Amino acid sequence: MASWPDSTRVIGAAVPRLDGLAKASGRAKYPSDERPDGVLFAAILHSPHAHAKITKIDTSKAEAIPGVKAVHLIAEEGATVRYHGEEIAAVAAESEEIARDGCRAIAIEFEVLPHAVTEEQALSDNAPRLTPRGNTQEGRAQQDGDPDAALAEAAATVEGHYSLPVITHVCLETHGQVVRWDGPDRMTVWASTQNVDGVESEMAGAFEIPATNVTVLTPVMGGGFGSKFGADTWGVAAGQLAKKTGRPVWLFLDRIQEHLTAGNRPSASAKIKIGADKSGKITAMIAETQGTGGISRGAAFPLPYVYEVPNSRRQHTDVRINGGNARAMRAPGHPQGCAMMEFAVDDLAEALGMDPLQVRLNSLAEQDTVPSGDGQPINRSEIYRAQIELGRKAIGWDQRKSRAENAKAQGPLKRGFGMALHQWGGGGRDDKQVTCIINPDGSVELRSATQDIGTGCRTILAQIAAEVLGLEPTAISSNIGNSQFPPGQASGGSTTTPSMAPPAYNAALKAREQLFRRIAGALDAEPGDLEARGGVILVKGEREVPWKEACRKLGTMPVSVTEGFLEGLTAQGVGGCQFVDLTVDVETGVVRLNKIVAVQDTGLILNMLTWKSQVYGGVIMGLNYGLFEELVMDPTTGLALNPDMELYKLAGASDIPEIEIIPFDNEQMRKRGVIGVGEPPTIATAAAIGNAVANALGTRVPAFPMSPWNVLNALAKA
Amino acid sequence: MNAFEYASPTSVEQAVRALAGAESSEGLSGGTDLLCRLKDSVSSPSRVVYLKAIADEGFRGVFAEGDGLAIGAGTSLAALLADEAIAAKYPALKQAARSVATPQIRNMATVGGNLLQRPRCWYYRSGFGLLGGRRDGDTARLVRELEGEYAPYNINLVGLPADGHLVRLGDNRYHAIFMTDGDALYVNPSSLAPALIALGATAEIVGPDGSRTVPIADLYRIPSSEGERELTVATDEVLTRVLLPPPKGKNAFYEIRQKQAHDWPLVLASVCLEMDGDTVRQASILLGAVAPVPYRAEAAEAALAGKKLDRSTAEAAGQAATTGAKPLSKNGYKVPLVKTAVKRALLRAAGDEYWTAMEA
Repeated sequence: MASWPDSTRVIGAAVPRLDGLAKASGRAKYPSDERPDGVLFAAILHSPHAHAKITKIDTSKAEAIPGVKAVHLIAEEGATVRYHGEEIAAVAAESEEIARDGCRAIAIEFEVLPHAVTEEQALSDNAPRLTPRGNTQEGRAQQDGDPDAALAEAAATVEGHYSLPVITHVCLETHGQVVRWDGPDRMTVWASTQNVDGVESEMAGAFEIPATNVTVLTPVMGGGFGSKFGADTWGVAAGQLAKKTGRPVWLFLDRIQEHLTAGNRPSASAKIKIGADKSGKITAMIAETQGTGGISRGAAFPLPYVYEVPNSRRQHTDVRINGGNARAMRAPGHPQGCAMMEFAVDDLAEALGMDPLQVRLNSLAEQDTVPSGDGQPINRSEIYRAQIELGRKAIGWDQRKSRAENAKAQGPLKRGFGMALHQWGGGGRDDKQVTCIINPDGSVELRSATQDIGTGCRTILAQIAAEVLGLEPTAISSNIGNSQFPPGQASGGSTTTPSMAPPAYNAALKAREQLFRRIAGALDAEPGDLEARGGVILVKGEREVPWKEACRKLGTMPVSVTEGFLEGLTAQGVGGCQFVDLTVDVETGVVRLNKIVAVQDTGLILNMLTWKSQVYGGVIMGLNYGLFEELVMDPTTGLALNPDMELYKLAGASDIPEIEIIPFDNEQMRKRGVIGVGEPPTIATAAAIGNAVANALGTRVPAFPMSPWNVLNALAKA
Repeated sequence: MNAFEYASPTSVEQAVRALAGAESSEGLSGGTDLLCRLKDSVSSPSRVVYLKAIADEGFRGVFAEGDGLAIGAGTSLAALLADEAIAAKYPALKQAARSVATPQIRNMATVGGNLLQRPRCWYYRSGFGLLGGRRDGDTARLVRELEGEYAPYNINLVGLPADGHLVRLGDNRYHAIFMTDGDALYVNPSSLAPALIALGATAEIVGPDGSRTVPIADLYRIPSSEGERELTVATDEVLTRVLLPPPKGKNAFYEIRQKQAHDWPLVLASVCLEMDGDTVRQASILLGAVAPVPYRAEAAEAALAGKKLDRSTAEAAGQAATTGAKPLSKNGYKVPLVKTAVKRALLRAAGDEYWTAMEA
């Protein structure tokens, strides 16, 4: 079984992103920046109705507009559109403006149908039937032990009803691609995707051309968060328009469409009864949960979450609405499950008259085994205990006052502390590959189809090769985001780095081995006499041959090896906790964050800078969920009211507090190997914010976000 | 967005001519409102008249005018914010300017534009007009009217009662809580207007028939039918200057919003207090974001007259300011915000910012 080197020079260091300057300076070319020769711009016409039958489509006026080159229908006459924003047609034109004019000139007759855009509407007696199977789908019932008896015996019980709204991914670069046909059965696609290989096979399938003839390029991309795995209807539409016109076609969604049709995180609500014994250990939980993932997707989330609940029962219902479909969103399901569980745990602690931190410690499973790369399994409960201690100190938990004390405090400003725990997987897949090329001029290149969704994967792969070859990361060309390269991991489940780091390490090791074998003779040595370090080849521990000079001994043939997974370099199953210190102004309902502490373990940390950047990003995304975000649907018209970045609210710099990140990084963690960190740090933030608000006010604000109206409404009822 | 003619006059006189000579026209200043309306097809003028090239003296900048000030309508909010005379004498105005949007937007946005921007109501911005979709009192056929040559969508709502009103039936968290008996339930979007009204400012407007001066409050009216504008400035008129009388007593502004960065106010209050020593002789108290026009809190003014300004009288004035509030289904939370905003604006004027530090 393989292992990472015991002592490292580049791996684990804080290495700036190789493409950081290009991105920060605007030089980096994103897929939406591509303008191949002769490019046409396309726009999508979307449904202005929440629910309607298309009785007639007339594209003649659109086609007559000077500059409009082609119209492609995504929905045909007779089709039913089922949410505001659903795609109907795409128009390609000489400019984006003309393409939009073209969309508006398509005359469509609709037979408007009754809609239900909120869960309340969809569940009402006179709701229209939205799917052949009705407006709800029951999840499989969960049952463990005897929760009714356990609740009856509990020392304290509490009942709560909590809810989280639908939010969207808000990728800064909207979904889309540029498609160019390079022959009758060959195309290049510049795609803003987190799944280069997946887009290749989808486009090949849609156009019935060999996958090998499709080149998908994603050198950099502007955010996906789980919503950019597929070619999507607009990708196929761009391909059709490019085919019709014989010109490359640029098609990216506008901001409204990005909010409405490119995915969302489902809503969640829960009625929870929870009980504990005298010692403050959770004994039972009964939950009825609900959520909507739009017109045809589910809204599942894990519950119970993290803690050991020996007796539990849960019934979940998915509600269908005339809304865009959910897509995976950064730790799918977990932020919802975490908030529901952690709210209940906090309220239970209040009923017990105990510190909620103690109830959490009491309620961790005795043994929560997670694997390690070195074959020595780990008890995650022990990790949680250590993390909670670190977070407790960092946030100043001992300053926390009880809800009752805070409720009595004078003045409009109430300070509160809250915390929450989370878990995630984040392991690697074993079927991906990396090519390592050492050229006779000394340049080194890595190749893989995988993409850098923003995590720093490009830099991390270069670091690994640099470590093995004794070079600086900047000396390595990390060429990823190209489907012609060896198969790369899709960026989902925090699996990219753990899937790609082992083959990169493997390929670099084998390339070094081959290099030594091929140049040893020319250096009057055996391959075993050579070492690569500090930019030189060290011969027999004495003579230093500069790297480039040594590589010249290769003659004209580069070293090129493609390698796959190695056992022992990755693991999965992480834990973390977050603590929040905030102030609520009870005269305005405005919540201001003072500080957030994020403690996170993810095994071996390959790059401390990009690792921390992931945690910062996760926390900021989580605080948006906790404080600001909500997609607002209008019950009367069925339209979304805030598909923008103005009244769909997101934190600005002044809304973001000090964020202290504590890497849970020690010898044992490093031995576990690589585990992804993209998702876990966004899970607990909103839950911890909600708990801190409850602590500050002395009363629970049951509905997210923690906005002035939700805060003041809860205070008015308290 | 529809195609439009574009004019870039260099004088107010030319601008008025350009505005008047088109089928429909809009003045373009910083563009922070108009561009959004154009792109969303909420407004589709046949001609856009750019006002930032106007070189007339006084159109841009802050000048002494008698014992008061004259502010050119073309002055950017950033320039307003940087002006020393305003900071010294009219802190309410500076505080109001600072509350608007972001530094980037304040660099572009102008005083005239802030006063004459159109409401942010999300039903209006979705194409349903200013009156909740009501056309001459009838919503049986509700028309979503995105203006212009191509207007592909008519929304015929299913099951909407004939007396239905989109704002009343829908999500009105950001809407009016005062003057809510009528159909205009949007809120006036200007942050400067309440401050200027409290300070007794007037607006100079130039049109085809010459120039006129009106109190800032008279820039606004409540439309009684769809198609009637909520602004009294005609489409062929240009707002040229805002005239501030000499400051009387203390003035201050307080805004409540959800986010610290770039957000619209939920409620704001601006006050101007004429004092006799510690006693308030006369108070001018204006509210923003609570009614279709900047809203004068007369009960609060009366409650304060003749009183010493302290926490308890400020609290009472704040409470009085909520008199007559009739919130809609989802914006009852704004009523306590009115109380807080008025109380804090008053105490800020008195130098008592009690809300900025935790009590021991």
